This record gives sequence, structure tokens and C-alpha cells, in this order.
Amino acid sequence: METLSSSKRLTVIIMAFVFVGAAALTLFDLRLASSQTVTLVAKRSENAIPLDDPSADVWDKGAPIQVPLSGQNTVPPRGGGEGTVTARALHYDGKLYIRMEWSDATKDDSTSMQNEFTDAAAVQFPVEHGESVPAFCMGNPDAPVNIWQWKAAWQTGTDASVLDVQEAYPNIAVDFYPFEDEPEFYPAAASGNIVVRADRTSAADNLLAGSFGTLTAAEDQMVAGMGAWDDGKWRVVFSRDLQVGAEYAQFAEGDSTNVAFAVWNGANAERDGMKSVSQFLTLEVSPEIATGGGGLSGGTIGLFVVVGLVVVAGLATVGSYLLYTRRQTA
Amino acid sequence: MAKVHNWQLGREMDYRFPEVHPDRQFVAVFNINRCIACQTCTFACKSTWTYSRGQELMWWNNVETKPYGGYPHHWDIKLLQLLNDANPGGQTWDASTQSDDAPYGEFKGMTIFEAGAAEGKDSAIGYLPTEEDWTSPNFYEDTAKGNPGVPNEYHPEGAQLPEHNTWFFYLQRICNHCTYPGCVSACPRNAIYKRPEDGIVLIDQERCRGYQKCVEQCPYKKSMYRPNQQVSEKCIGCYPRVEGSDPITDGVPMETRCVATCVGKIRLQGLVDIQDGEWVEAPTNPLYYLVRKEQVALPLYPQFGTEPNVYYIPPRWVPREYLRQLFGPGVDQAIDRYTNPSRELQAVLQLFRSTQKIIFRYEIEEGEEIMDTEVNGRRVQIFNDTIIGFDGNDQEAVRISVEEPFHIRNGEFAGQFQNSI
Repeated sequence: METLSSSKRLTVIIMAFVFVGAAALTLFDLRLASSQTVTLVAKRSENAIPLDDPSADVWDKGAPIQVPLSGQNTVPPRGGGEGTVTARALHYDGKLYIRMEWSDATKDDSTSMQNEFTDAAAVQFPVEHGESVPAFCMGNPDAPVNIWQWKAAWQTGTDASVLDVQEAYPNIAVDFYPFEDEPEFYPAAASGNIVVRADRTSAADNLLAGSFGTLTAAEDQMVAGMGAWDDGKWRVVFSRDLQVGAEYAQFAEGDSTNVAFAVWNGANAERDGMKSVSQFLTLEVSPEIATGGGGLSGGTIGLFVVVGLVVVAGLATVGSYLLYTRRQTA
Repeated sequence: MAKVHNWQLGREMDYRFPEVHPDRQFVAVFNINRCIACQTCTFACKSTWTYSRGQELMWWNNVETKPYGGYPHHWDIKLLQLLNDANPGGQTWDASTQSDDAPYGEFKGMTIFEAGAAEGKDSAIGYLPTEEDWTSPNFYEDTAKGNPGVPNEYHPEGAQLPEHNTWFFYLQRICNHCTYPGCVSACPRNAIYKRPEDGIVLIDQERCRGYQKCVEQCPYKKSMYRPNQQVSEKCIGCYPRVEGSDPITDGVPMETRCVATCVGKIRLQGLVDIQDGEWVEAPTNPLYYLVRKEQVALPLYPQFGTEPNVYYIPPRWVPREYLRQLFGPGVDQAIDRYTNPSRELQAVLQLFRSTQKIIFRYEIEEGEEIMDTEVNGRRVQIFNDTIIGFDGNDQEAVRISVEEPFHIRNGEFAGQFQNSI
């Protein structure tokens, strides 16, 4: 019987660690975002996912990942800061659902007065998923990105819209508006500017960009978005059909693409490039049934993983060594 | 940051974009001495452009009473404070280097762009006015400078020339359609542009996403946020009129609404040709004459560095130190020339508010002397010259004499008037 060299012994130990680590991650369905290979997995949901309740129980079936954010410091106006978004993804009946969850002490959902800025969030995908990933800051001219942006202010007024003057100032006195129904006196709306679309039915916009300053409304508005603020926390759900026109990000069961996140804090006058952003992560649309990642927080799960890794790895190492020595003796 | 030449500062300065100039530039001259603050300009503008929902607090044209008034409140004091904080005591001019190319000498201090760079920012310094700042647009109307240290009392010798001790004056404000606009430099989306054909600065209403960086960085606070549209809007220089597309003038360029409606005849607006970044010498273009040749009209806060294109004939009764802060070192010369006007200036001043058509050049037919007297120890001669203004097609648009014609109404109308009562 040949003997194992010490290098082979090391290999066994490392493989044991890898196996145990993978087993632990699978067991807890958790992928640490600080690792470059972090993946947000959208599994198939067995239940419908309500858009109007971002806290719905169905989201417990979606495995959470903790996505670290940092301030946007590449181009002016810079802003934002360190933070974390808890992201979950599911798919159901041909639609992709992504939920972002982050802490924000104040609910800023109005832009109807001067100096008011809204809380907002966005997810970003490469339009074409290739071997290289577009720049996570708004993409590149030859590698555009598809952005879904939700703004709290867009769901504040009636008809899923911003507050109008009479809603924002109930006691306002105005003699009359002489040409109220003539569109030329509302030039942004008349020119088709998406930020003021009168027929807004969703608080999320479908946008395209190919580098800084190029953010442009997409021709097709087909992204649903709804957020709810509760006890210092925003939960925002985005939803869109997995398969749409080729000019936008595509998703399919068994395929992967990339996703990045951004958050704006209205209380901090954040808008535009003043935002907290993540790098691109992997987004995988899985045919597996979502069974949940448990209700534990990422930190607790992380602790379990580390402890589990150490214990199981230790056992495996001892076991392997025992096995090896027994065989050698035999 | 690129280096651009700012003739009002007599030097190069930092700007976000390289130096580019329009073929023609929108220019206006406002004669503060004549304004009675009737606000007809304000309401002409309002009733043309900003009477719709969401524009309630929006006054693209406003007339404020200095020294205390301002729309938004204290806009200029706040910015001067920011500049002084960035460069304490350093906001000075060297008027000794005055020349034709640098009529006010050289500005030694920091512009809003340079002060921003000094603070390590990529953008100009500025601030966002509060909700309250935009309200009560005519607050402090007709409030005069008090007697320092004596509340509720005016100065006992308040109204003695050359400088009144008790004083106020009206400042008429529209967008300056600056050569180096703060708003253009501020917009992260490049949604604001300066038109090559007339230098009018516009916010692209389709591209604007309401970030309000222009509201923050326009030093004159003439970009305004329209909440129910989620975008910013600003004075559009009545561009359809300036283009000549308004049917009233049959295709020739026409003055803006605020200029054309001026009751006090204080406003004149037109276009100057630009070549190689300089005003093309055009001594009989009334705007060129008033600003560059006679130099009686001065830019507002040239030290901000945006090269504003609305020019003011400063009020002759106001303490010069205050005026120099607003209009730079050219104040003393401008007031001297305005109070002792040359024969040509007397004629050109008649063109104000004499026609809706933009006057591109003038001719003067000499008339007889109608007055020869002495004012403040200086000889004053007035000639009844006739000035003829020519429109965009070089057709005669207006003919007006220095001495206003005197009409006597006969009795027949008086009778009709009595009958109607």
C-alpha cells in the first residue's frame, strides 16, 4: 500500500474545508456578498407574490444576501455612504421579483415642496449578459445597463403619482389657472419626460444608461415597483416579466446575469449621483423551488456558518486522518 | 476644469467646459434710474409663462427693492457670504489695469467656480433656497436703508446728492443668459444648454430629472423647481419672440415680454454678434454702445464669474461702495457718464421701449440745440437729435427725437368725456 505524501494530506484537508463550507452555505442558503462570487438566487416561488405588500410572508422563502453599499465617489456629484441592503429574489408565473430592504430612520416620500428629496432605490442589470460586466456605475457606451428605479415620492399622491399642489398645500389660495388643460404649459409632461408622466401606474421606472449622465427613459415602461416603510426600514419590491424585448435585461430559468443595487436617502438631500451603490453581483434564476433561508439575520447566519465550518472541518480533518492512519496500518 | 476668458473679470478663469461661444448673444440693458417698480414686467412674464399649476412661487422676472429685498430672500447676501468665507477679504478688484478688453480692470478674488474648486469640490459653490425663501417675492418693497444705530428713524440728511444717506432702489432681475452659466456647469446630465443662435440658456424639459443642482448653483437663483412636474424650469428669454417667430413682427426678432411691456421705458434688449469669443465691434448697435463703448451699463455681480448678459445703468443716488459690490469698479464712471450724458447717449437712451422689434443698429440725425445750462457746476447741452432704430431686416423700426413732442388736445374730446359721465 502506497503512503500519502504530506502534500496529499494537505489537499485532503483543504478539500474537506471546501466541502464543509459548501455544505454549510447550502444548508443555510446563504452567500456572503463580500465574496466576489456572491450570487443572488431567484428560486421559483410556489405562491403568488403580492406587490402591494413588500413584507409579505412569501419573501421568507427567498434566500437573503447582505449586499454592502458604499458612497458613489467616481463622478460628481458624489455622495451616499456605507450601508447594507438585504436583497432577496424570487420568480413566479414568468415574472422576476426582487426585494430590497435597508435601514432608513426617516420616511422621505415627498418632493412636492422646495428642498424636499425622496428616498429611492434602484437595481441595475447589464442589458446583454456577456463575459465582461459593464461598469457598475451606469454602464459603458458599448455595454449599456438596464436600471429599474423606484422613488418613494412616486407612490405618495393619488393615482400612484407625486403630490399635486393642492394635495401638498391644502390651504393654498389660487384665483384660477387659465389654461389648465393645455399641455404646452406643462412642458416636461408635454415633451414626454418620464419623471412626470401623467399616466404613471408604477412607482418604478424602466431606464437605460451607457455611462454617467446618460440615464434615459426606456420606451417601454413595464417595471412594477412598490415600497413600504416601517419602523426605520424600507422594503421595496421590483417586478418584471422574465422575458421582454431584446433591448432590456433578459432573465431565464437556469441562466445567470448580474445585478447591482443603489439607495438614496432623501433626508440627506441625496439624488442623482449622490447615492450609495454596490458592485455587480451574480443573479441566478433557478428552476428550484424556493424553500426559504430562514428568518435569521445575516449576522447570525454568518456566525453559525463560521462555527459550523470550524466544528465540521475539525471533525472531517480528524476523521480523514484516522482513516488514513488506519489504512496505512492495515 | 477648463480655462476660459471672462472679459468682465479681465482674466482667465476655471470653468467646467472649454470656451465655446454662440454666434449671437442675448443682451439686455436695464436703466435702474428710471424704474418705478410697477411690476408690469413681472406680470407680463407671469401671465405669459408661469401661471400654471406648480408655478405658484415662480417669478422668472422679479423686481426687488435693494438693499433689503431679494427673491429668493437674501439670495445675493447669502452667496456673497459663501464667497467671503471661501476667500476672506480677498474679493477685490484691481481697477488700474482697465482697458477696452478689460473695462473693469482685473478681478483678484474667487469666482463661484474657483471657490468651489478651492473647497475641493468639482462644482461651483451655491446653496438651495428654502421653501420660505421663495415666498413673499416683494418683501421689503420700498424699504429704505435706515440710519445706522437709530431704529425707526431715517437719516436727518437723507436725500442729498451725490449719495443719499437714506436710500433704496429697484433691481430688475431675469435670467442673465450667462456666457459661463452656473446652471449649465451644475447639471450632471448636461440637460441645460446655451443656444448657438442667440446664447439663450434653456433647460431641456425632456431630459431634466429635477435634481436641482442648477437651482443650487445658479448664483442669481433663476433656476426654479416645479414640484408637481418634478423638474426645474427657468426664464426662456422669450425665445419664440427673439427668434422672430411671433406673428406680430412678421418674422423679425422681437424683444422679450418683460422688455416690451416696460411702462417706465427702462429696458432695452437685443442681440450682439460674437466672433472668436469677443463682442464684434458694432458702435451703432445700442447694446454694444451702452455696454462696451459708453460703458454706462454694468453687469450684476460680475465677480460671481458667470459673465452675465443683463447690464444695469446704476442708480445715481446710491452710495458708491454698495454699488461697486453689485456692479464692480465701473460704477463711478458709469454714473458720471449717465448724469452728464454725451450727445449720442442722450439719443440712444430714447430707444428704450420705443418698439417691440429688436433694434440691431441706429442712425442719428442731428437737431438743434434746445438747452444750454449748468448742472452741478458742469455745462449741460441738450440737442434735439432724432434717432432711428433699424430692425432685423435693416428696415426702419422706430424714429424718435430727444425732445418729446408736445401735443395739445382740442376741446371736442373734453366734451365727449363729460357726456360719458
